[in-house]
Amino acid sequence: MASHGFWFLGAENATGNGSQSPNTPLLNVGEAEKTAQAQVKAEDGSTVESCGCNKPCNCPKATVCFSDLYSTDLLPALDGDAKTMNFLQEVVDILLAYIVESFDRSTKVIDFHYPNELLQRNNWELSDEPETLDDILISCRATLKYAIKTAHPRYFNQLSTGLDMVGLAADWLTSTANTNMFTYEVAPVFVLLEYVTLKKMREIIGWQDGRGDGIFSPGGAISNMYAMLLARYKMFPEVKEKGMSSVPRLVAFTSEHSHFSIKKGAAALGIGTESVICIKADERGKMIPSDLERRIIEAKQKGYVPFFVSATAGTTVYGAFDPLMAIADICKKHDVWMHVDGAWGGSLLMSRKHRWKLNGVERANSMTWNPHKMMAVPLQCSALLVREEGLMQSCNQMQACYLFQQDKHYDLSYDTGDKALQCGRHVDIFKLWLMWRAKGTIGFEAQIDKCLELSEYLYNKIKDREGYEMVFDGKPQHTNVCFWYLPPGVRYLEDKVEKMKRLHKVAPVIKARMMEYGTTMVSYQPQGDKVNFFRMVISNPAATFEDIDFLIEEIERLGQDL
Amino acid sequence: MELRGFLQKNNNVDDKSRIVGFFNDQQPKSILTRDNEPDSRFRRTETDFSNLYARDLLPAKNGEEYTMQFLLEVVDILTNYVRKTFDRSTKVLDFHHPHQLLEGMEGFNLELCDQPESLEQILVDCRDTLKYGVRTGHPRFFNQLSSGLDIIGLAGEWLTSTANTNMFTYEIAPVFVLMEQLTLKKMREIVGWPNGEGDGIFSPGGAISNMYSVMVARYKHYPEVKIKGMAAAPRLVLFTSEHSHYSIKKASAVLGFGTENLILLRTDERGRVIPADLEAKVIDAKQKGFVPMFVNATAGSTVYGAFDPINEIADICEKYNIWLHVDVRLANSVTWNPHKMMGVPLQCSAILVREKGLLQGCNSMCAGYLFQPDKQYDVTYDTGDKAIQCGRHVDIFKFWLMWKSKGTIGFEKHIDRCLELSEYLYRKIKNREGYEMVFQGEPQHTNVCFWYIPPSLRLLPDGEEKRQRLHKVAPKIKAMMMECGTTMVGYQPQGDKVNFFRMVVSNPAVTSNSSKDKCQCYTIMPIERNDVVGKTCSVLHKTQT
Repeated sequence: MASHGFWFLGAENATGNGSQSPNTPLLNVGEAEKTAQAQVKAEDGSTVESCGCNKPCNCPKATVCFSDLYSTDLLPALDGDAKTMNFLQEVVDILLAYIVESFDRSTKVIDFHYPNELLQRNNWELSDEPETLDDILISCRATLKYAIKTAHPRYFNQLSTGLDMVGLAADWLTSTANTNMFTYEVAPVFVLLEYVTLKKMREIIGWQDGRGDGIFSPGGAISNMYAMLLARYKMFPEVKEKGMSSVPRLVAFTSEHSHFSIKKGAAALGIGTESVICIKADERGKMIPSDLERRIIEAKQKGYVPFFVSATAGTTVYGAFDPLMAIADICKKHDVWMHVDGAWGGSLLMSRKHRWKLNGVERANSMTWNPHKMMAVPLQCSALLVREEGLMQSCNQMQACYLFQQDKHYDLSYDTGDKALQCGRHVDIFKLWLMWRAKGTIGFEAQIDKCLELSEYLYNKIKDREGYEMVFDGKPQHTNVCFWYLPPGVRYLEDKVEKMKRLHKVAPVIKARMMEYGTTMVSYQPQGDKVNFFRMVISNPAATFEDIDFLIEEIERLGQDL
Repeated sequence: MELRGFLQKNNNVDDKSRIVGFFNDQQPKSILTRDNEPDSRFRRTETDFSNLYARDLLPAKNGEEYTMQFLLEVVDILTNYVRKTFDRSTKVLDFHHPHQLLEGMEGFNLELCDQPESLEQILVDCRDTLKYGVRTGHPRFFNQLSSGLDIIGLAGEWLTSTANTNMFTYEIAPVFVLMEQLTLKKMREIVGWPNGEGDGIFSPGGAISNMYSVMVARYKHYPEVKIKGMAAAPRLVLFTSEHSHYSIKKASAVLGFGTENLILLRTDERGRVIPADLEAKVIDAKQKGFVPMFVNATAGSTVYGAFDPINEIADICEKYNIWLHVDVRLANSVTWNPHKMMGVPLQCSAILVREKGLLQGCNSMCAGYLFQPDKQYDVTYDTGDKAIQCGRHVDIFKFWLMWKSKGTIGFEKHIDRCLELSEYLYRKIKNREGYEMVFQGEPQHTNVCFWYIPPSLRLLPDGEEKRQRLHKVAPKIKAMMMECGTTMVGYQPQGDKVNFFRMVVSNPAVTSNSSKDKCQCYTIMPIERNDVVGKTCSVLHKTQT
């Protein structure tokens, strides 16, 4: 079988990495290990070769030979029952093995390959003819082999990391239920869970009796777009029918450190990115309220209409919390919709120790909160919460009569579909709800507190360590720790310009090496006039103090020769 | 092992000791190979979950055993559910009113508390959630355009949740990003664009895909709108059929065109756009000084399943330089939802764009923290900036895996069978007493729209009273279907037409059954059986048995 081929390519490819790598000369740390690795792969390859279901072996699946079966043999086929159960059992075995492996620190976070190389590693092509179930299982294994182990305790690359077991179970159940959120009719339980959970979240924000509205959307960017849409509709309801040409020029305000989705939203909604005014942030990345007020007044003087202020609770890079109280005062004074983008920082509301950072959020008109980040809910779980009831409905409804028949026999207020921008909507609620049941509010709190503790540990560890420099001073408010690592060769350079130029290249090279070795993953980026620095974020519940120590050692090991 | 040695020097003793007993040194092999040692398989053993909590699962110390047992228990619940779903004697749903469920059913309460629940309770929650849900994979569920449960697709979804990653960059989703590219190319080839050239993206649903198409069209004609807003463009108008999906209307409201600037096109009695009407309305809009920008043609309308005459519409669009959305070859962009007719598990929708680079130009914001230009690999694989989202769910894998397992011919067969079944239904009822078709002629898609006229109404003379009473028939039958849980079919009014049933077949489970007569039982029989208003479920069940 040709598709088995990639198991045997291990040895050739591990040493042949360089051919497509633009950074080859930089990636020469520990060539010895690389060769050793290649040998192991070859060994693995030979073990695979020794077993195939066609040859005699003590394979427990001799009873079910997947190489003779096709998807058409599975349910709903007649007599497909046993085969289906066997097939799913096999898939589950693969997944469980992957899970155990993911949490094991001795496995690689990533088995990195360049795109062209990866394309040759397996038969990824789609063809006219069906493939056997055996090939399908091989594809599953191959996919996981080259996937990032996002549950790995040393995976710090994104804001959403880790893999929660209850969340995972819930996600499996969601896919099995395979339904759609548009009406109570087709998703009775999930619609109610969404209702209960959104209410709970609003209570935590501090809106009276948990009143208000909300929806789970396909991500923070869409949630922010919803907020902007609602703000526009609230001020100029006619825009829905007549379009942007019926309203004066609208302007939105957000900090220069805010997430790019605010601009994306403005572009999509026909407001234009130019009408998003970036407010200055202080050296810690927090919006400066006086600058906000100045810019609002300025816009008014030009005849524009300020309609939307997006304050950020937990910026993407610095993890800064904008001063919500002061911003709320300004919004109230100028009668502007206040949105809090708490995609990253909103979860701190669950912690009694840290929720003060969001003081003032209860005065916002809307808030984005992504449980798939800091609360480690499996991906795609983002909520938009709105204080005013009924607004979402009137803003987005189109009354499609094929879905939202008014003569149904149950309480129609539970048909939430017409509130959404989407028609069909994926069930994102169950995993959050089930995790909440399993952990309780205090479980989430403990998890969040621990992540913040870890980041403080990291901060304390590197702030005075030789070769490290913090991007901004002071204890980080969120789990973001931003720093430069200065290798010995750069540390003592006199020439400032040359130093910055070389420092700019350090983080990308260390990151590339991390990926080559697969030991850990951290993000880096430039910001304004600051050259590339590391942005370490901790949202992974599996991470420990040892993993932080490891990260520091690893950066130094991979960067010392630069 | 040498590899281990290299990595282990960074691990402390404690970490090493955490490697599980049943999954020790053979681990890398058993991941990659066929997992042949009997003792390396995960087996369910009796476990008492009543004293276990989420905190005892991974990443907790020594949490492997408990985690495996918990997940296997969940899988057991799920596989039982799958098995029952395909069993026709199971109810499609166990209907309860919202207030009943909210008040709590036999220990199933939805409340969230401060304190954790035991894993035992979590497993009960899982069972109850499935119990009170709708079995969308049931052979008799015809309520929505997406129905059926594909086992391969399901396996793909489970794997996707386990991989739990995000589509924005190649860095963190290398395999899935490549799969998306390959699959989109294949889809464009099928659409018929030369060499499968063009662009595309998977989005969270057809409505968002349609929104993408309007945005891209706007960007193509007036790129300055991205920066300066709609004020920079003249008054733009969009066209769509009066039968088209409401998502185009939503898009026009959201994107700042205004629903008034969406002009509805008249359709013939079969629900197809009349091209002459399009041309007349385009000319009319131009005379008023508006700019016609976008025409949405529908291939398979939601209600009638009608296909608009694409060639003629394409000619008009070319003549007036208007962006044509949807459908084959001639279009500028296409929305294609594999989660509907192709039976892929939910959330799998693609937008294909003929012109390369437009999606990127339209949506890119170049966020420094994600899309660093100085990465070591070819950053054209970082597709995230094309999307209006930031993080994007992995919707590709299940589709790719299903395609692998069925081949193009498998999908073809599935679709052909659904159409065959709907044709069968159409023939069966078109001359049957008490049925009346909403439009004449064989349906173009699997949508069959019809009225069922109960005996008591059949003799009434045509007129307002009959209309009024007929209008109430479908909701009542539907309500009874749900109370009994026998089947689910959609109904709705359209224009001046009173409530009618809209039967759609996209469920592969229906087709797989050899006997077509059964299909009749699922659809026609319950409708007639439920006919007598006021009959209770229990009586119905008695008559059934």
